[in-house]
Amino acid sequence: MKKTARIAAVATMVALSLSACGERETDAGEDPASTPSESTSESASADPSQQFPDFKACMVSDSGGFDDKSFNQTSRQGLRDAVEAYGMQEADIESNDPSEFNDNINELVSQGCNSITTVGFLLGDSTLAAAKKNKDVDFSIVDFAYTDDKGDNTAPANVKGLTFNTAEPSFLAGYTAAASSESGVVGTFGGLNIPTVTIFMTGFVQGVERYNEDTGSDVQVIGWDPESAEGSFTNDFEDKNLGQSTATEMINQGADVIFPVAGPAGLGGLQAAQDNDVKAIWVDTDGCVSAEEYCDVLLTSVMKGMDVAVQDAVLASAEDEFSNEVYVGTLENEGVKLAPFSDDVDEELQATIEDLKQQIIDGEITVG
Amino acid sequence: MELEIRGLTRRFGSFTANDGIDLTIRPGEIHCLLGENGAGKSTLMNMLYGLLDPSEGEILVDGEPVAFASPADAIAAGIGMVHQHFMLVPPFTVAENVMLGRERTRGLGVLDRKAASRLVRELSERYRLAVDPEALVEDLPVGVQQRVEIIKALANEAKVLILDEPTAVLTPQEIDELMGIMRELRAQGTSIIFITHKLREVRAVGDRISVIRRGKVVGTAEPTASEAELAEMMVGRSVQLVVDKAAAAVGEPVLEARNVTVIDPRGHQVVKDVSFVARAGEVLGIAGVQGNGQTELIKSLLGLVRPDAGEIWLDGRDISRHGPRQSLEDGIGYVPEDRSHDGYVGSFSVRENLVLDLFRSERFASGPALRLGAIEANARQRIEEFDIRTETMETPVSALSGGNQQKVVVAREFSRPLKVLIASQPTRGVDVGSIEFIHKRIVEERDKGTAVIIVSTELDEVFALSDRIAVMYDGRIVGTATPDIPREEIGLMMAGATDTDQAGATGATGAGTHGTGGGAA
Amino acid sequence: MSDPQKGPAAPPVVDPERVDPHEAAAAPRRRFDASAFVPTVVDSVLAVVLALVVGAVLIVFSTERVLGSLPYFFSYPWDFFRFAGEAVGDGYAALVNGSLGGADALTRTLNRAAPLICAGLGVSLAFRAGLFNIGAQGQMLVAGLAAGYVGFTWDLPTGLHALVALLAALVAGALWGGVIGLLKARTGAHEVITTIMLNNVARFVVLYFLGLEAFQRPNSDNKLSPPVDDSATFPAIGNLHLGIVLAVLAALVVWWLLERSTLGFEMRAVGANPDAARTAGMSVPRVYVTAMTLAGVLAGLAVTMTVLGQQNSVTDQVAGTVGFDAITVALLGRATPVGTVLAGLLFGALSAGGLSMQGAAGIAPELSQVLQALIVLFVAAPALVRGIFRIKGRGQGSSVEAKGWGG
Repeated sequence: MKKTARIAAVATMVALSLSACGERETDAGEDPASTPSESTSESASADPSQQFPDFKACMVSDSGGFDDKSFNQTSRQGLRDAVEAYGMQEADIESNDPSEFNDNINELVSQGCNSITTVGFLLGDSTLAAAKKNKDVDFSIVDFAYTDDKGDNTAPANVKGLTFNTAEPSFLAGYTAAASSESGVVGTFGGLNIPTVTIFMTGFVQGVERYNEDTGSDVQVIGWDPESAEGSFTNDFEDKNLGQSTATEMINQGADVIFPVAGPAGLGGLQAAQDNDVKAIWVDTDGCVSAEEYCDVLLTSVMKGMDVAVQDAVLASAEDEFSNEVYVGTLENEGVKLAPFSDDVDEELQATIEDLKQQIIDGEITVG
Repeated sequence: MELEIRGLTRRFGSFTANDGIDLTIRPGEIHCLLGENGAGKSTLMNMLYGLLDPSEGEILVDGEPVAFASPADAIAAGIGMVHQHFMLVPPFTVAENVMLGRERTRGLGVLDRKAASRLVRELSERYRLAVDPEALVEDLPVGVQQRVEIIKALANEAKVLILDEPTAVLTPQEIDELMGIMRELRAQGTSIIFITHKLREVRAVGDRISVIRRGKVVGTAEPTASEAELAEMMVGRSVQLVVDKAAAAVGEPVLEARNVTVIDPRGHQVVKDVSFVARAGEVLGIAGVQGNGQTELIKSLLGLVRPDAGEIWLDGRDISRHGPRQSLEDGIGYVPEDRSHDGYVGSFSVRENLVLDLFRSERFASGPALRLGAIEANARQRIEEFDIRTETMETPVSALSGGNQQKVVVAREFSRPLKVLIASQPTRGVDVGSIEFIHKRIVEERDKGTAVIIVSTELDEVFALSDRIAVMYDGRIVGTATPDIPREEIGLMMAGATDTDQAGATGATGAGTHGTGGGAA
Repeated sequence: MSDPQKGPAAPPVVDPERVDPHEAAAAPRRRFDASAFVPTVVDSVLAVVLALVVGAVLIVFSTERVLGSLPYFFSYPWDFFRFAGEAVGDGYAALVNGSLGGADALTRTLNRAAPLICAGLGVSLAFRAGLFNIGAQGQMLVAGLAAGYVGFTWDLPTGLHALVALLAALVAGALWGGVIGLLKARTGAHEVITTIMLNNVARFVVLYFLGLEAFQRPNSDNKLSPPVDDSATFPAIGNLHLGIVLAVLAALVVWWLLERSTLGFEMRAVGANPDAARTAGMSVPRVYVTAMTLAGVLAGLAVTMTVLGQQNSVTDQVAGTVGFDAITVALLGRATPVGTVLAGLLFGALSAGGLSMQGAAGIAPELSQVLQALIVLFVAAPALVRGIFRIKGRGQGSSVEAKGWGG
């Protein structure tokens, strides 16, 4: 879709520049209009020891594709950031369905990739199989870890799981939501009843419970019950309308803070919040950046630093410091965090949240 | 205006549909174009009407060459056409249909319905068409709908009117009325090209007759020519117009309908308490205007629809609950009324269609597998026996002419031992040569001792074949007769006048005709 | 081949003037006619050619180097053409290389073609019986669940295990497809509606089961089944598994069924003209149920390629987009077994080659899908393609159509 927009933009540009009869550049490769505009390389390192022109960093998406406005996209952002910052080569392959995973990884191996990042638990088997066959390639996989029954890491030396304890910031988000609610009801819904989604919702519920304990209130959460593992799900990560109707239903039941964990479908939840003048909390990225039009309803966002994690894993591989140790994004290492609060969250509450965050980091509160 | 065609030729690939046709249509004449199905009449007319480009030759209007890129050009030049299949919008009124495509508006895009109504009324009165501009087309009988088509052409100021097989859908009375209208149009200066393959009609109304055969004009004739002469020109050999048959050797009752009533899905009783007996060795003709229950009646005989009341007995067994498969296997032969709809699978080859209801038999199948050899042998034999004109046995039936399509259906149904043959419209849209052949085979089947039931809207056919005639009107059998009854009487019965209601056609309404009572005894 | 009536090559046989009144009258009340969507061989080939041409243009205008040469196009026009040529050349070279260049590429093509062929055969078969089967996706999902369950739960000897898992898939597919036939036969419910609905239902059925402990990996709540036991996976030479062999066998069976069996005769007759079929004593409802059941069997076979062939575990995406691509494959293959095999191979190659285009030539991943979409578009609009290539219509019919009833 973005491609289409780009082609359209380019066509316009062509029309304009043809009439202008431009000059040939010495190196006719660079086109400023087509550098990825989303790249926000904060650390364009000039240090020559930090440049790896011979290193090829690669990625395979799951069937959501790279333009999913969700974890595939954020993960690739991390790859792009690494490629820009450290002058690497890049290759990406998008998967259409799970039967292609093996082929897609093998294709990248055969193209000489040094590091291959796969996105999502569905690629777990394929990634492991490829890693066993190609010991000289470093693999990292987003949102997945290889563990045995006891929870110990079973990954081979060249595979790194990248996981995120999003329950921690979600806990803070739940507390914030409960404290901001006037109706005493807050709502959350997920895209699909899978662990990477429900971990947010569970943290959120625990945050609300903590608020109730601390203040003796009785704020209710609708949409998720960690005990029975049942709740509201759109069963779709794409359809905004589903998110909107789910959220509207919750608002009708009295909820005045909505916490959608459903990728782009969750945008519908923000729309519903905006339409009904209630508040919401976004996930994965800072909603005030990625979904700016809804910034006014957002109290904060639960950020899942997949881009940072991917970038770090790629850099570690390039620097020969790769390990199979599972990466867990936490509040402590800032792999997960809360986005800046809106003005609706007063300083007192902000201070409380900061305090809670420290308690989590210190292990005084266990979440999840 | 005078319309002249010079050397008009149209080819489709290697096939020449029209080959150097010369024709002149003089002002105020009824020029009949006589030819069998597939002779090239429609191709010629489609070129005249701008629907097809000629490969060679020219069209002249009043001596000036013209080229019609589309029907709009032809209409502008004063040519009007009434197709076999009407181009009307059923839920619209007559006036609305007439102004369709040439809507006149009064200021601000308001349709000027009144002007359209006025125009229809004027034309209707001037040519004595008796059409109410405010009537809904869907409520009108077919004959009147046809007149609406004529009005449409006249509203476009047509000077030459092409009528493509206009009588195919009409009752005998309606045909008489149409002929009256044609004469009226001629009297007021409109020329008419009258396309038909019915000899009786050209002799009744034509001023001049051009006969087309295999894409060429093979001659012209005067209306005084005999039917036999015309038929010979048309077919290219002498044709026997009267079915040659001996007296029937009537045997035992074979098929019996007892108080059969059929209700259609809309809840209308379409067959009302019909009883009859078909006997071995006899042809029972069921006459009637289309849409008076014959379709449903014979469908119920085969088991395609279940009678809602009454019983059907075959050889002393009640078969009312049997489906078509069992009835076919019990020895009922069935030639459906609308062959392209029910009789054959158009995309199937001739070979396949010849076993469409026989492929399960041991002759053509062993276990789950078809016996291709036997099916091919059968095809070869039937094509030969029934003189089916097809390029190969693999040619799809949809590519054959109507007559040959019908021969495929007839050949199939005649290729197994029958107790009863039910044939509906056995020769509709079939050329004269094939009619002769099919009629002969039907009589042969009768002489083998099969009970034959013929349903036809063509009185000629009913008279030619039947040993007994039953007339259906409004779902009932309103009378039975022998073929020596005068045509007019059967015509009246078809229009709803029963034996006891000789007062005339005044009662004819609805699905029947608007008979003028012409020819009442 | 088995279809002599199609194709402009066939001479306009005997009679261009066969418009008798009944046929004309019958035309408007003709029901939905699936066969009207079947293209000719020429249409199919031209559609592919045209899609490649449009694809080339898209490659040109989405390659940065080419675009970079445009601002000075009038000074150095050669740059543009050189870069454009290289981009298209590289892209299509990668396409060919990735699909046909070497054993790995061929394996990939065949492995991807196999499920497309099987599911495509299911769509084709239903199509020939006059049914628009949009439901291969749902049939595959349910069948995949069944095959997977047998594959990772039961304990059977190698070979037999795969066979039983395969049969489970076929039975599940048959049931899921047969229901649609039954609904159509009994209630007249249109199969397009019911198949689409059942696709959704199938996905939720699969999700429901994947939520159960018995269908999940130990210590995991992910909606991902355990891998199928080795004893239940298809034998393979290198990476090339049994799938393509099964697909070709299935095509042979379907061909025999359609062209040589009484059942196929009935199905084709019902598909082409249900009224005539009924009048000839065939049971239209029975044919509908049979055809949809067999279509479900074929869709079930398709999904075993994924579950028992290479992927080895069940998720709600186990069918990928194969169930929908199968419709395209069937259409492109003119709903004939041979055509479906060829179209399936083509799409398998496009998919396999598209991968190399992405990886090696850096062409947007969407392009191979755009190529497929373009092929569909051009197949669906034969008049457009014919117009572009200036091919005359089929005899009188289309020329009349083209000029219209402008009066």
